[in-house]
Amino acid sequence: MPRFDIPARIIEQTQLAHGIFLLTVKAPAILDSANPGQFCMLEVKYNNSRDPLLRRPLSIYKTRANGHISFLYKEVGKGTRLLSKRRPGEIVRVLGPLGQGFRLIDDRPQCILVGGGLGIAPLLLLAERINQSGKLIILIGAGNASEIPTIEDFSGLTRYFHIVTEDGSLGQRGMVTDLLAQTLQEITGMAQIYTCGPWPMMKAVYYMARKKNIPCQVSMEAAMACGIGLCLGCAVPKSDSRGFLHVCKEGPVFDADQIHWEYTQ
Amino acid sequence: MIHQKNPITQSPNLSIKIGSLVLKNPVLLASGTCGYGTELDGLLDLDQLGGIIVKGISIKPSPGNPPPRLVETPCGLLNSIGLENVGIESFIGDKLPWLRNVKTSLIVNILGNSVEEYAEIAKKLDGAEGVKAIEVNISCPNVKAGGIAFGTDPEAAANVTRAVKKATDLPMIIKLTPNVTDITKVARKVASAGADAISLINTLLGMAIDIKSRRPALANVFGGLSGPAIKPIALRMVWQVVRAVDIPVIGVGGISSPDDALEFLMAGAKAVEIGTATLVRPGTAENVLAGIRDYMEANSIQNVDDLRLPE
Repeated sequence: MPRFDIPARIIEQTQLAHGIFLLTVKAPAILDSANPGQFCMLEVKYNNSRDPLLRRPLSIYKTRANGHISFLYKEVGKGTRLLSKRRPGEIVRVLGPLGQGFRLIDDRPQCILVGGGLGIAPLLLLAERINQSGKLIILIGAGNASEIPTIEDFSGLTRYFHIVTEDGSLGQRGMVTDLLAQTLQEITGMAQIYTCGPWPMMKAVYYMARKKNIPCQVSMEAAMACGIGLCLGCAVPKSDSRGFLHVCKEGPVFDADQIHWEYTQ
Repeated sequence: MIHQKNPITQSPNLSIKIGSLVLKNPVLLASGTCGYGTELDGLLDLDQLGGIIVKGISIKPSPGNPPPRLVETPCGLLNSIGLENVGIESFIGDKLPWLRNVKTSLIVNILGNSVEEYAEIAKKLDGAEGVKAIEVNISCPNVKAGGIAFGTDPEAAANVTRAVKKATDLPMIIKLTPNVTDITKVARKVASAGADAISLINTLLGMAIDIKSRRPALANVFGGLSGPAIKPIALRMVWQVVRAVDIPVIGVGGISSPDDALEFLMAGAKAVEIGTATLVRPGTAENVLAGIRDYMEANSIQNVDDLRLPE
């Protein structure tokens, strides 16, 4: 797959909620070869500054036919804070599209998307893609409503849309795994689960899927330096051996049974 | 022809010699930051570069250290990858065929846990088609049982040098660790033991603590610091070693711009390696090369060696 490292013009930078931003850049070349679940590395420093040194990996959230790519991200440190200060018209360097995205499985007409917090970011493109072919069930959970300000992008896609928050500020009070348990009781026939969110959530989702023999794909996150398999920094432990997988290269989307979920540092 | 070139201006000669090895220019990719080359396909034109030094190879495949393996520090990167690599058999079988088609000098970085292992791996590479030279990592600070002992002990470093020299006719570059009190001691020892060239510096041993989780930021606790933060140290050590030995010295450590590279060449390095900067921007090495060429043209400097400052 072709990858590009290009200067991209910022079209939009919107603060959607406290610490949550939507950044849109014009990068037609990257868009043309991007698949759901892939990510880009964005330079956050100004000009020739060397601090912060590294780019930041961000999932591709949304694409539009006019060459616009959007990233939904949270300010978590110095890099994302600097990125959030960039304004429309400015140039940001973008490397992408990177990694292995979600794999659509033909004989799985029912797809269950499980997103936790900003883990919804890589799921929108996937949801749009699935919606053209099969039954789409979207389950989203968050601590509170302000953590998922773009929820309307999802809610219009399917009538099988459910949301919970831990404080009840949006949807019912509860955890996304409660929604999944209920859904798994109700559905019949072949299904496929796709999930992205915090590690404990994805682990719980995977264990529930495994119990029902439903295949599950997970989108992983890790500290990353290059995004293209040069440094091997973004290792996650493999389930079947002492070895490691690399989020940037073999991932970010993995079959959940490839990952050693009981691993703790 | 509207513009006529000034007949006395010649385009600068960028080629350099490291022992018997001729490189078309002095810009190389540093081991550990360019994978096995193929990862950069389409993002950097390897054919333009003086050479590529692929990820350190051991006798057996190595899974590397548990995560977290990376933490960013001001103008720097701490890593404890733990020398994860595919092992020599897979390297020769799976990686080398692709690398043979790249029109740059292929240098293979080697690792070992004993003098015998270094020699064994050098022997395996000796007949491998396409390999132009070996860089011996005696300095990586990451593996508890590994390289650190050789690089910090001048005698052990000399032993490795002699063993590799005996095992192969390929030009041999010894890569030094900066984690020593006097870098010139080790440099002199490996030079007199038969090294064809020296490269320096490898990463500096460091650490970071995550004050939220209240634990070391790296699972391995310690890691190697690289990036612009270490450049002044690398430059100082290159300056010292250039003046301590008679063999060619290759500078590496925090080089991310043409200006950085020129400083090393002025300090007396024959060539430079681009490391962490490739992780940040894959095309860095091409940019550095173009900048060196521009500088030489603008200042009418004919040969790379002429960049070295007068004593």
